[in-house]
Amino acid sequence: MIFSKEEIIFAYTVEKCPKCNKLNRRDFSEGDVLFTPASKCSFCDGITVIEKIYGEIFQK
Amino acid sequence: MFSMGDDSDPLMMLVWIIPIIIFVFYGQQIQLLVTSGEIKKAIKKLDKFSSDSKKELIDYVKNNLEPVDEPTKKIEQFLDYFTIMPVDMDPNGIVEKVRHTVRSREDYTRNHIKSLLPNISEIELNRVQTLLELASSLQMIHKIVNHMFLTAKKQKNYPLILPLQMILPFIMEHAKAMQAAIPAFKTGQPIGDGIGPMVVGKMMLNEEKEIISFQTVMAKTTFEQRKLFLLKAEGPSSTVGRPDEALQKIIDTNKIDVIIMVDAALKMEGEDSASIARGFGAAIGGIGTEKFQIEAIATTNQIPVFSIIVKQSVKEAITLMSKDIADQADNVRSQLYEMILENTAEGQSIVIIGVGNTIGVPQ
Repeated sequence: MIFSKEEIIFAYTVEKCPKCNKLNRRDFSEGDVLFTPASKCSFCDGITVIEKIYGEIFQK
Repeated sequence: MFSMGDDSDPLMMLVWIIPIIIFVFYGQQIQLLVTSGEIKKAIKKLDKFSSDSKKELIDYVKNNLEPVDEPTKKIEQFLDYFTIMPVDMDPNGIVEKVRHTVRSREDYTRNHIKSLLPNISEIELNRVQTLLELASSLQMIHKIVNHMFLTAKKQKNYPLILPLQMILPFIMEHAKAMQAAIPAFKTGQPIGDGIGPMVVGKMMLNEEKEIISFQTVMAKTTFEQRKLFLLKAEGPSSTVGRPDEALQKIIDTNKIDVIIMVDAALKMEGEDSASIARGFGAAIGGIGTEKFQIEAIATTNQIPVFSIIVKQSVKEAITLMSKDIADQADNVRSQLYEMILENTAEGQSIVIIGVGNTIGVPQ
Protein backbone atom coordinates (compact mmCIF):
# COMPACT_ATOMS: atom_id res chain seq x y z
CA MET A 1 0.00 0.00 0.00
CA ILE A 2 2.32 2.72 -1.26
CA PHE A 3 -0.25 5.52 -1.11
CA SER A 4 -2.07 4.58 2.12
CA LYS A 5 -1.72 7.09 4.94
CA GLU A 6 -1.43 6.29 8.60
CA GLU A 7 -4.65 7.00 10.48
CA ILE A 8 -4.70 8.45 13.98
CA ILE A 9 -7.88 8.59 16.05
CA PHE A 10 -8.23 11.55 18.42
CA ALA A 11 -10.79 11.06 21.19
CA TYR A 12 -12.96 13.98 22.32
CA THR A 13 -15.40 14.51 25.16
CA VAL A 14 -18.38 16.84 24.72
CA GLU A 15 -19.79 18.36 27.89
CA LYS A 16 -23.23 19.94 28.02
CA CYS A 17 -24.54 22.28 30.69
CA PRO A 18 -28.11 21.24 31.59
CA LYS A 19 -28.82 24.81 32.74
CA CYS A 20 -27.69 26.95 29.79
CA ASN A 21 -27.38 24.13 27.18
CA LYS A 22 -23.90 25.34 26.19
CA LEU A 23 -21.61 22.68 24.71
CA ASN A 24 -17.89 22.39 25.33
CA ARG A 25 -15.59 20.03 23.42
CA ARG A 26 -12.27 18.99 24.93
CA ASP A 27 -9.76 16.15 24.59
CA PHE A 28 -10.89 12.86 26.15
CA SER A 29 -9.22 12.07 29.45
CA GLU A 30 -9.19 8.63 31.05
CA GLY A 31 -12.08 8.24 33.48
CA ASP A 32 -14.55 10.21 31.35
CA VAL A 33 -17.86 8.33 31.28
CA LEU A 34 -21.01 9.29 29.36
CA PHE A 35 -23.88 10.98 31.25
CA THR A 36 -21.74 11.66 34.35
CA PRO A 37 -21.15 15.13 35.87
CA ALA A 38 -17.93 16.61 34.54
CA SER A 39 -17.02 20.19 35.50
CA LYS A 40 -18.35 23.62 36.37
CA CYS A 41 -19.93 25.41 33.41
CA SER A 42 -17.85 28.36 32.23
CA PHE A 43 -20.96 30.34 31.21
CA CYS A 44 -23.23 29.86 34.25
CA ASP A 45 -23.08 28.21 37.68
CA GLY A 46 -24.31 24.83 36.38
CA ILE A 47 -22.40 21.54 36.41
CA THR A 48 -21.78 20.10 32.96
CA VAL A 49 -22.64 16.52 32.05
CA ILE A 50 -20.74 14.40 29.52
CA GLU A 51 -23.04 14.26 26.50
CA LYS A 52 -20.85 12.49 23.95
CA ILE A 53 -17.51 10.75 23.64
CA TYR A 54 -16.31 10.20 20.11
CA GLY A 55 -13.27 9.87 17.89
CA GLU A 56 -12.19 11.75 14.80
CA ILE A 57 -9.76 10.23 12.32
CA PHE A 58 -6.83 12.25 11.06
CA GLN A 59 -4.47 11.04 8.35
CA LYS A 60 -0.72 11.54 8.63
CA MET B 1 5.63 -3.72 -44.44
CA PHE B 2 3.70 -4.62 -41.26
CA SER B 3 5.38 -7.94 -40.71
CA MET B 4 6.65 -8.56 -37.15
CA GLY B 5 9.44 -10.83 -38.32
CA ASP B 6 10.10 -13.93 -40.27
CA ASP B 7 7.83 -16.73 -38.89
CA SER B 8 9.89 -19.40 -40.53
CA ASP B 9 12.97 -18.45 -38.50
CA PRO B 10 13.49 -21.39 -36.07
CA LEU B 11 14.95 -19.07 -33.42
CA MET B 12 11.83 -16.85 -33.47
CA MET B 13 9.64 -19.95 -33.26
CA LEU B 14 11.48 -21.00 -30.11
CA VAL B 15 10.96 -17.53 -28.61
CA TRP B 16 7.19 -18.05 -29.00
CA ILE B 17 6.98 -21.72 -28.17
CA ILE B 18 9.19 -21.92 -25.06
CA PRO B 19 7.11 -19.47 -22.95
CA ILE B 20 3.93 -21.30 -24.03
CA ILE B 21 5.40 -24.62 -22.92
CA ILE B 22 6.57 -23.07 -19.64
CA PHE B 23 3.12 -21.62 -18.95
CA VAL B 24 1.34 -24.87 -19.87
CA PHE B 25 3.40 -26.98 -17.50
CA TYR B 26 4.42 -24.48 -14.81
CA GLY B 27 1.63 -21.87 -15.01
CA GLN B 28 0.09 -22.84 -11.68
CA GLN B 29 3.44 -22.74 -9.91
CA ILE B 30 4.16 -19.26 -11.35
CA GLN B 31 0.72 -18.01 -10.25
CA LEU B 32 1.31 -19.60 -6.84
CA LEU B 33 4.64 -17.76 -6.58
CA VAL B 34 3.09 -14.35 -7.43
CA THR B 35 0.06 -14.82 -5.16
CA SER B 36 2.07 -16.19 -2.28
CA GLY B 37 4.05 -12.93 -2.10
CA GLU B 38 0.84 -11.00 -1.30
CA ILE B 39 -0.39 -13.63 1.14
CA LYS B 40 2.96 -13.78 2.94
CA LYS B 41 2.76 -10.02 3.54
CA ALA B 42 -0.77 -10.39 4.96
CA ILE B 43 0.32 -13.29 7.20
CA LYS B 44 3.20 -11.18 8.50
CA LYS B 45 0.72 -8.41 9.37
CA LEU B 46 -1.63 -10.92 11.06
CA ASP B 47 1.28 -12.28 13.07
CA LYS B 48 2.12 -8.75 14.20
CA PHE B 49 -1.53 -8.05 15.14
CA SER B 50 -1.60 -11.27 17.14
CA SER B 51 1.64 -10.65 19.04
CA ASP B 52 0.86 -6.92 19.59
CA SER B 53 -2.58 -7.68 21.01
CA LYS B 54 -1.09 -10.31 23.34
CA LYS B 55 1.61 -7.90 24.47
CA GLU B 56 -0.92 -5.11 25.09
CA LEU B 57 -3.07 -7.47 27.16
CA ILE B 58 -0.14 -8.68 29.26
CA ASP B 59 1.12 -5.10 29.78
CA TYR B 60 -2.39 -3.96 30.74
CA VAL B 61 -2.73 -6.71 33.34
CA LYS B 62 0.77 -6.12 34.73
CA ASN B 63 0.56 -2.30 34.87
CA ASN B 64 -3.07 -1.66 35.84
CA LEU B 65 -4.13 -4.68 37.89
CA GLU B 66 -2.54 -6.72 40.65
CA PRO B 67 -1.91 -10.25 39.42
CA VAL B 68 -1.08 -12.84 42.10
CA ASP B 69 1.49 -14.54 39.84
CA GLU B 70 3.42 -13.70 36.70
CA PRO B 71 0.46 -13.50 34.24
CA THR B 72 2.30 -14.11 30.93
CA LYS B 73 2.24 -17.92 30.97
CA LYS B 74 -1.38 -18.14 32.13
CA ILE B 75 -2.54 -15.66 29.49
CA GLU B 76 -0.63 -17.50 26.77
CA GLN B 77 -2.19 -20.78 27.89
CA PHE B 78 -5.62 -19.22 27.79
CA LEU B 79 -5.14 -17.81 24.29
CA ASP B 80 -4.65 -21.37 23.01
CA TYR B 81 -7.96 -22.49 24.53
CA PHE B 82 -10.35 -23.71 21.87
CA THR B 83 -14.12 -24.18 21.69
CA ILE B 84 -15.62 -27.18 19.93
CA MET B 85 -19.05 -26.30 18.61
CA PRO B 86 -21.79 -28.95 19.05
CA VAL B 87 -22.48 -31.36 16.20
CA ASP B 88 -25.28 -30.11 13.93
CA MET B 89 -26.13 -33.27 11.93
CA ASP B 90 -29.38 -33.34 13.89
CA PRO B 91 -30.27 -29.63 14.26
CA ASN B 92 -32.96 -30.32 16.87
CA GLY B 93 -31.94 -28.52 20.07
CA ILE B 94 -28.74 -27.11 18.54
CA VAL B 95 -29.40 -23.55 19.83
CA GLU B 96 -29.55 -24.74 23.42
CA LYS B 97 -26.33 -26.72 22.94
CA VAL B 98 -24.51 -23.74 21.37
CA ARG B 99 -25.73 -21.44 24.17
CA HIS B 100 -24.50 -23.92 26.78
CA THR B 101 -21.07 -24.24 25.12
CA VAL B 102 -20.60 -20.48 24.70
CA ARG B 103 -21.77 -19.65 28.22
CA SER B 104 -19.56 -22.38 29.69
CA ARG B 105 -16.61 -20.77 27.91
CA GLU B 106 -17.61 -17.31 29.20
CA ASP B 107 -17.93 -18.63 32.77
CA TYR B 108 -14.58 -20.39 32.47
CA THR B 109 -12.93 -17.19 31.21
CA ARG B 110 -14.35 -15.15 34.08
CA ASN B 111 -13.24 -17.70 36.68
CA HIS B 112 -9.81 -17.94 35.07
CA ILE B 113 -9.36 -14.15 35.21
CA LYS B 114 -10.59 -14.07 38.83
CA SER B 115 -8.05 -16.72 39.83
CA LEU B 116 -5.29 -14.63 38.26
CA LEU B 117 -6.60 -11.31 39.64
CA PRO B 118 -8.57 -12.00 42.85
CA ASN B 119 -9.17 -8.30 43.66
CA ILE B 120 -10.43 -7.34 40.23
CA SER B 121 -13.56 -5.17 39.94
CA GLU B 122 -16.50 -6.19 37.73
CA ILE B 123 -15.72 -3.44 35.19
CA GLU B 124 -12.06 -4.47 34.91
CA LEU B 125 -13.03 -8.14 34.72
CA ASN B 126 -15.26 -7.49 31.70
CA ARG B 127 -12.56 -5.33 30.14
CA VAL B 128 -9.89 -8.04 30.50
CA GLN B 129 -12.35 -10.64 29.22
CA THR B 130 -12.95 -8.59 26.05
CA LEU B 131 -9.21 -7.99 25.54
CA LEU B 132 -8.61 -11.73 25.93
CA GLU B 133 -11.29 -12.49 23.33
CA LEU B 134 -9.73 -9.99 20.90
CA ALA B 135 -6.20 -11.40 21.35
CA SER B 136 -7.50 -14.96 21.11
CA SER B 137 -9.45 -14.21 17.90
CA LEU B 138 -6.44 -12.51 16.28
CA GLN B 139 -4.25 -15.47 17.17
CA MET B 140 -6.80 -17.89 15.71
CA ILE B 141 -7.13 -15.88 12.46
CA HIS B 142 -3.34 -15.88 12.04
CA LYS B 143 -3.14 -19.62 12.66
CA ILE B 144 -5.90 -20.50 10.19
CA VAL B 145 -4.64 -18.26 7.36
CA ASN B 146 -1.08 -19.50 7.88
CA HIS B 147 -2.29 -23.12 7.86
CA MET B 148 -4.21 -22.65 4.58
CA PHE B 149 -1.23 -20.96 2.94
CA LEU B 150 1.35 -23.52 4.08
CA THR B 151 -0.88 -26.43 3.03
CA ALA B 152 -1.29 -24.99 -0.48
CA LYS B 153 2.45 -24.33 -0.70
CA LYS B 154 3.38 -27.78 0.58
CA GLN B 155 1.07 -29.50 -1.91
CA LYS B 156 2.07 -27.01 -4.66
CA ASN B 157 -1.69 -26.73 -5.15
CA TYR B 158 -2.69 -23.42 -6.73
CA PRO B 159 -6.49 -23.96 -6.66
CA LEU B 160 -6.21 -24.46 -2.90
CA ILE B 161 -4.79 -20.96 -2.49
CA LEU B 162 -7.51 -19.28 -4.60
CA PRO B 163 -10.25 -19.22 -1.92
CA LEU B 164 -7.71 -17.81 0.54
CA GLN B 165 -6.72 -15.08 -1.92
CA MET B 166 -10.41 -14.21 -2.41
CA ILE B 167 -11.36 -13.97 1.27
CA LEU B 168 -8.10 -12.43 2.48
CA PRO B 169 -9.21 -8.76 2.03
CA PHE B 170 -12.28 -9.44 4.22
CA ILE B 171 -10.21 -11.27 6.82
CA MET B 172 -7.71 -8.39 6.90
CA GLU B 173 -10.54 -5.85 7.31
CA HIS B 174 -11.82 -7.74 10.35
CA ALA B 175 -8.34 -8.26 11.79
CA LYS B 176 -7.43 -4.56 11.39
CA ALA B 177 -10.71 -3.60 13.07
CA MET B 178 -9.98 -5.92 16.01
CA GLN B 179 -6.48 -4.52 16.37
CA ALA B 180 -7.82 -0.95 16.25
CA ALA B 181 -10.47 -1.82 18.87
CA ILE B 182 -7.94 -2.50 21.64
CA PRO B 183 -7.29 1.15 22.74
CA ALA B 184 -11.04 1.85 23.10
CA PHE B 185 -11.55 -1.22 25.30
CA LYS B 186 -8.45 -0.45 27.39
CA THR B 187 -9.62 3.09 28.17
CA GLY B 188 -13.34 2.29 28.50
CA GLN B 189 -14.50 4.48 25.62
CA PRO B 190 -17.88 3.89 23.95
CA ILE B 191 -17.71 2.02 20.62
CA GLY B 192 -19.92 2.26 17.53
CA ASP B 193 -21.85 -0.85 18.56
CA GLY B 194 -22.83 1.02 21.74
CA ILE B 195 -25.27 3.35 19.97
CA GLY B 196 -28.29 1.22 21.04
CA PRO B 197 -27.29 1.19 24.75
CA MET B 198 -26.44 4.93 24.46
CA VAL B 199 -29.94 5.79 23.23
CA VAL B 200 -31.73 3.62 25.80
CA GLY B 201 -29.24 4.44 28.58
CA LYS B 202 -30.09 8.14 28.36
CA MET B 203 -33.81 7.32 28.59
CA MET B 204 -33.07 5.37 31.80
CA LEU B 205 -31.07 8.12 33.51
CA ASN B 206 -33.61 9.41 36.02
CA GLU B 207 -35.54 6.16 36.42
CA GLU B 208 -35.24 3.47 39.06
CA LYS B 209 -33.17 0.58 37.68
CA GLU B 210 -32.98 -3.11 38.55
CA ILE B 211 -30.72 -5.95 37.47
CA ILE B 212 -33.13 -8.27 35.69
CA SER B 213 -30.72 -10.88 34.33
CA PHE B 214 -26.95 -11.40 34.17
CA GLN B 215 -25.33 -8.01 33.42
CA THR B 216 -28.65 -6.64 32.14
CA VAL B 217 -30.55 -3.63 33.51
CA MET B 218 -34.24 -2.81 33.29
CA ALA B 219 -36.06 0.46 34.04
CA LYS B 220 -39.74 1.32 33.78
CA THR B 221 -41.05 4.64 32.53
CA THR B 222 -44.07 6.08 30.73
CA PHE B 223 -44.49 7.96 27.47
CA GLU B 224 -47.78 9.40 26.17
CA GLN B 225 -49.90 7.08 28.38
CA ARG B 226 -47.87 4.04 27.33
CA LYS B 227 -45.79 1.88 29.65
CA LEU B 228 -42.16 1.46 28.57
CA PHE B 229 -39.83 -1.30 29.78
CA LEU B 230 -36.29 -0.18 28.98
CA LEU B 231 -33.59 -2.85 28.67
CA LYS B 232 -29.85 -2.64 28.12
CA ALA B 233 -26.62 -4.30 29.20
CA GLU B 234 -25.25 -3.02 32.49
CA GLY B 235 -22.82 -0.21 31.66
CA PRO B 236 -20.23 1.10 31.67
CA SER B 237 -18.78 -2.45 31.61
CA SER B 238 -17.76 -4.12 28.37
CA THR B 239 -20.73 -6.44 28.05
CA VAL B 240 -23.74 -7.14 25.85
CA GLY B 241 -25.81 -8.56 28.72
CA ARG B 242 -28.48 -11.21 28.26
CA PRO B 243 -31.45 -9.38 26.69
CA ASP B 244 -33.20 -12.64 25.75
CA GLU B 245 -33.42 -13.82 29.37
CA ALA B 246 -34.46 -10.33 30.49
CA LEU B 247 -37.22 -10.19 27.88
CA GLN B 248 -38.53 -13.59 29.02
CA LYS B 249 -38.68 -12.35 32.64
CA ILE B 250 -40.63 -9.23 31.62
CA ILE B 251 -43.07 -11.28 29.49
CA ASP B 252 -43.62 -13.74 32.38
CA THR B 253 -45.15 -11.03 34.53
CA ASN B 254 -46.45 -8.40 32.07
CA LYS B 255 -48.60 -8.24 28.95
CA ILE B 256 -46.36 -6.77 26.26
CA ASP B 257 -47.82 -5.40 23.02
CA VAL B 258 -44.73 -4.40 21.05
CA ILE B 259 -40.96 -4.98 21.19
CA ILE B 260 -38.62 -2.36 19.70
CA MET B 261 -34.90 -3.06 19.32
CA VAL B 262 -32.22 -0.42 18.70
CA ASP B 263 -28.92 -1.72 17.39
CA ALA B 264 -25.91 -1.02 15.21
CA ALA B 265 -25.86 -2.90 11.90
CA LEU B 266 -23.23 -3.48 9.26
CA LYS B 267 -23.64 -1.12 6.33
CA MET B 268 -23.42 -2.26 2.76
CA GLU B 269 -20.71 -0.83 0.49
CA GLY B 270 -21.94 2.49 -0.86
CA GLU B 271 -24.24 3.18 2.09
CA ASP B 272 -23.52 6.15 4.34
CA SER B 273 -22.08 5.55 7.78
CA ALA B 274 -24.38 6.47 10.65
CA SER B 275 -27.50 6.39 8.45
CA ILE B 276 -30.62 5.23 10.28
CA ALA B 277 -33.12 2.66 9.00
CA ARG B 278 -36.30 1.24 10.48
CA GLY B 279 -37.68 -2.23 9.91
CA PHE B 280 -39.23 -5.40 11.26
CA GLY B 281 -37.65 -8.34 13.04
CA ALA B 282 -35.11 -8.78 15.81
CA ALA B 283 -32.04 -6.59 15.28
CA ILE B 284 -29.34 -8.38 17.25
CA GLY B 285 -26.03 -9.85 16.16
CA GLY B 286 -23.75 -12.32 17.88
CA ILE B 287 -23.74 -16.06 17.53
CA GLY B 288 -27.52 -16.22 17.01
CA THR B 289 -28.73 -17.80 20.24
CA GLU B 290 -30.17 -14.55 21.66
CA LYS B 291 -31.84 -13.69 18.34
CA PHE B 292 -33.41 -17.16 18.27
CA GLN B 293 -34.70 -16.79 21.82
CA ILE B 294 -36.15 -13.30 21.24
CA GLU B 295 -37.88 -14.48 18.05
CA ALA B 296 -39.24 -17.53 19.87
CA ILE B 297 -40.64 -15.37 22.71
CA ALA B 298 -42.19 -12.91 20.22
CA THR B 299 -43.75 -15.71 18.16
CA THR B 300 -45.14 -17.62 21.15
CA ASN B 301 -46.73 -14.46 22.55
CA GLN B 302 -47.70 -12.99 19.14
CA ILE B 303 -45.79 -9.76 19.78
CA PRO B 304 -44.61 -7.71 16.77
CA VAL B 305 -40.90 -6.84 16.78
CA PHE B 306 -39.73 -3.53 15.28
CA SER B 307 -36.14 -2.38 14.88
CA ILE B 308 -34.15 0.77 14.40
CA ILE B 309 -30.61 0.31 13.15
CA VAL B 310 -27.65 2.66 12.78
CA LYS B 311 -25.46 1.53 9.90
CA GLN B 312 -21.68 1.35 10.21
CA SER B 313 -18.62 -0.56 9.03
CA VAL B 314 -16.99 -3.42 10.97
CA LYS B 315 -14.22 -1.07 12.08
CA GLU B 316 -16.65 1.64 13.22
CA ALA B 317 -18.69 -0.93 15.14
CA ILE B 318 -15.85 -2.11 17.39
CA THR B 319 -13.62 0.98 17.65
CA LEU B 320 -14.19 4.31 19.42
CA MET B 321 -17.60 5.69 18.37
CA SER B 322 -17.28 8.09 15.45
CA LYS B 323 -18.64 11.66 15.61
CA ASP B 324 -21.26 10.87 12.94
CA ILE B 325 -22.64 7.96 14.96
CA ALA B 326 -22.57 9.86 18.29
CA ASP B 327 -24.39 12.79 16.62
CA GLN B 328 -27.20 10.44 15.58
CA ALA B 329 -28.15 9.47 19.16
CA ASP B 330 -30.79 12.21 19.56
CA ASN B 331 -32.16 11.52 16.09
CA VAL B 332 -32.51 7.79 16.86
CA ARG B 333 -34.29 8.63 20.13
CA SER B 334 -36.81 10.88 18.37
CA GLN B 335 -37.41 8.20 15.69
CA LEU B 336 -37.94 5.70 18.50
CA TYR B 337 -40.64 7.88 20.08
CA GLU B 338 -42.20 8.36 16.64
CA MET B 339 -42.24 4.57 16.14
CA ILE B 340 -43.94 4.09 19.52
CA LEU B 341 -46.70 6.58 18.63
CA GLU B 342 -47.19 5.07 15.15
CA ASN B 343 -47.42 1.45 16.27
CA THR B 344 -49.03 1.46 19.69
CA ALA B 345 -52.15 2.82 21.35
CA GLU B 346 -52.58 4.48 24.75
CA GLY B 347 -52.46 2.01 27.63
CA GLN B 348 -50.22 -0.47 25.79
CA SER B 349 -46.86 -1.76 27.04
CA ILE B 350 -43.65 -1.71 25.02
CA VAL B 351 -40.26 -3.31 25.63
CA ILE B 352 -37.38 -1.23 24.23
CA ILE B 353 -34.03 -3.03 23.99
CA GLY B 354 -30.77 -1.14 23.44
CA VAL B 355 -28.70 -3.91 21.85
CA GLY B 356 -24.89 -3.90 21.74
CA ASN B 357 -21.74 -3.65 23.80
CA THR B 358 -22.27 -1.02 26.48
CA ILE B 359 -18.63 -0.19 27.24
CA GLY B 360 -18.38 3.41 28.41
CA VAL B 361 -22.18 3.81 28.41
CA PRO B 362 -23.87 3.82 31.84
CA GLN B 363 -27.59 4.24 32.50
